[in-house]
Amino acid sequence: MSLRRIEQLRPNHGRARGPSQGTFLPWSVALVASLALAASLGGWAAGKASGEKNATRQVTDGDADADLPAAKPDTVRIWIRTVPPRKAQVKWGRKLLGIIPAPKALVIERPRDSGPMDLVIRAGGFLPVHTRAYTFDDSRVSVKLTPPSQKSRLFGYKQEIVPPLDAGVPPPAADPPKE
Amino acid sequence: MATTAATPSPGPAPKAPAPATPAPEALAPEPVHADELAFVIHDGKESWTNAAAAARSGYTIVDFSDDWTPFIFAEQKGPDGTVLHNRYRRVFIGLANDTLDEDGEPLPAGEKNYLELYGVPPSFGVLRERFFADEKQTCHASIDQEKLQEVETIAYVAPEKMKDEERRMARLRRDLEEARRKRRAATLAELAEKDPPLAGKVKAYERRMAEKEAMAEVEKRLLCEGMFKRKPRHTPGVYDDAMRLAVRRFQQKNMIYEANYLRAKTMDALARQPLANDHQAFMRVLRERVVDAAGVVEDGSAEGKSGTPTFTSKSGKSVALRNLVDELTKVAAQQLGLDTQEGAFAFFKRHPAADFRRLRAAVRLPALPEYYAPDMDLSIVIDRGDVWYDLPWDAQGVRHAQPRRRYPSFHLYLKYQNQRILLARWRTTIGGWRAEQASDGYEYFRYKGSDVGPRVIRNVVAGPVWIAPESTPIRALLKMKDVGGSWQRVVNYDELGPGYLSAYGLVAGYFVQPRGHGKPDWDNGIRAHGSSDYLSIYSSEGYSHGCHRLPNHLAIRLYSFILRHRPMSVLGDQRMSFARQFLAGDNVFEIRLPSRGYSYLLDPPLPVEVLEGDIRGTLRTPVTTYVPKPGIEYPGPPPPVRASDEGRAAAPGKTEGEE
Repeated sequence: MSLRRIEQLRPNHGRARGPSQGTFLPWSVALVASLALAASLGGWAAGKASGEKNATRQVTDGDADADLPAAKPDTVRIWIRTVPPRKAQVKWGRKLLGIIPAPKALVIERPRDSGPMDLVIRAGGFLPVHTRAYTFDDSRVSVKLTPPSQKSRLFGYKQEIVPPLDAGVPPPAADPPKE
Repeated sequence: MATTAATPSPGPAPKAPAPATPAPEALAPEPVHADELAFVIHDGKESWTNAAAAARSGYTIVDFSDDWTPFIFAEQKGPDGTVLHNRYRRVFIGLANDTLDEDGEPLPAGEKNYLELYGVPPSFGVLRERFFADEKQTCHASIDQEKLQEVETIAYVAPEKMKDEERRMARLRRDLEEARRKRRAATLAELAEKDPPLAGKVKAYERRMAEKEAMAEVEKRLLCEGMFKRKPRHTPGVYDDAMRLAVRRFQQKNMIYEANYLRAKTMDALARQPLANDHQAFMRVLRERVVDAAGVVEDGSAEGKSGTPTFTSKSGKSVALRNLVDELTKVAAQQLGLDTQEGAFAFFKRHPAADFRRLRAAVRLPALPEYYAPDMDLSIVIDRGDVWYDLPWDAQGVRHAQPRRRYPSFHLYLKYQNQRILLARWRTTIGGWRAEQASDGYEYFRYKGSDVGPRVIRNVVAGPVWIAPESTPIRALLKMKDVGGSWQRVVNYDELGPGYLSAYGLVAGYFVQPRGHGKPDWDNGIRAHGSSDYLSIYSSEGYSHGCHRLPNHLAIRLYSFILRHRPMSVLGDQRMSFARQFLAGDNVFEIRLPSRGYSYLLDPPLPVEVLEGDIRGTLRTPVTTYVPKPGIEYPGPPPPVRASDEGRAAAPGKTEGEE
């Protein structure tokens, strides 16, 4: 099948590269992800061919918003990107929806008002993020990524209880008698 | 009367009492579209009439369509006439028709929602299926109804205490048998007569035995009605999780508030024939449709110990307040021949499922009381009842009872001819001690009170979204969900809404204090809202986080009534772009909310007064700091209560609420 190449979020968005650029998924994972993506898109194509109503369509990069064909009234588009912009895997349950082609957005198309999508976004060097996309109308999902070293900045981080210096050993009752 | 063949065709007439009112005015023959028709029963015969003309001649049009929603979820129009879409409407209709789940995703084939208890009545299409399925069902024949009728309730025995209970009963039986032989009594009943001190033990034993036999019939009945799911598996005779869930499903189906236990109303419903229960459901569904069509709220709840309230009419007569909800439902059911099980079933047999895509009835309802008008001087009073500020635990974590003789109550008043008429009075909630997450990541107790004094409701939001404050415990923000075959943790949007399970229920009125001088209202996050957590409303130990909860169906009736009898404008879907992340383990979860709900603006706003109630216990004012939970190790003293949790100016889209 061929993907319709439709758009990118903003041509210059997030051009500045962060420290973890190039540390995206190891090649083996990337390969598996690509195969899964191909399978998933193949599945989509099959679904489409068989007239599947709830098919999810992934549309990727293009030159500019101006290239976008007119949206169909019965579908919505969801733009998914990360902050900072990183290549990231977007999964919906077991289904791999695609890879965010940072700095561009991953764009998916869904039947309008077909219910929300609970997504998991994984980028190398960052904590996985569970988020939700809606299909009521076109929307942009911009997900902030946090490296594990900064998780204490997130709400819900539990401050650790510092153990006492004596590690709980009770102090001696008295000095031993001197000889 | 205009009729047409291009409609759901009327079948044989139901045997219904003819309305004691004239038929709708004759209409000039003109082509009428099916959508413009309503059925009417006249001289016991069903025929079609032009709905608009019938309405003009005094009939009320009751919507029987499967895409019905209460007024608050109807597609309203903006000032320029454009339709303002309500994003929860589709989900509400899907839930009522067993086609969608709470997220608005397709419901697996054959699944049933049973959400009437939580404010989403089934559609008539669903009820129609229920009638036909129950008529064909043969498994009910094997159920011994007498055994079910013999007991009023079935005592709950926890699964882990089953063996102890069996041993206790075996011992009791041995003792009684021995006594029976000694006293030469033929039966235990005779023993009780001969030896009155043993009568209590005999009664207890026989009751337990009857309950055990009834329990077996309950299991058969629940199985027959498809209330057991594949998982968890049920062990016969044990009140295990599977049984608890099956009973809950049955209660949801039959709108019974009895907290998963086999209490009187649940047992009564189990002892009734399924079609009789179906007809009761039919009448409840009809009630909501009639209430919505007539725009009434008086349900008899205003009656007190001194009897039915009265008001003085314009002519100076003392007039009793009517229970319009029951009265109008009864009249509509009788006129349409639906007040009996047979009549309702005949109606479904007459109308194929396709008819319910668009089906309306014209009924002649009794005139409403003289105080009804498009602009009624309504107000709300909330009496907090008995209030305890003391901690309900001691330092060891032992709970201390805080009994209440007076529970919080919600009153809807009408000012008419210099009188204050109580239209409805319902049980509600006030705040109490709740767990809250502090900035150190630990949970503490905090007193979440309900504000006292004058307020107003300016905004009513249908399908409201609760923006969980940062103090919400993380555990409440997560749930497990099957996402495309993958069982995973997700943000608990059930709690956030929109939805019947949401902290704000299906509709909420926002309490604010006007500050004048062009300043925005002060909003401390207190609402009067719907809720599916009926135990918090009706149980003796139920509290909220400060809000005043009502069962969803009552909240829907209340706000539908207010919006139709006060000047208001429709603001429509309140878009926002809210996202907040939090950490759970090594995963980041993101709350993402695209809308606050569908908003209506009351102008002028609706006055609200919250009465202080009676302060019980030692403390006269609430504790304002965090209190450590007994038995929990903390990293240090409690952090200060977050300022952001307290009140703030009600800038739209920024207010976080209590619930």
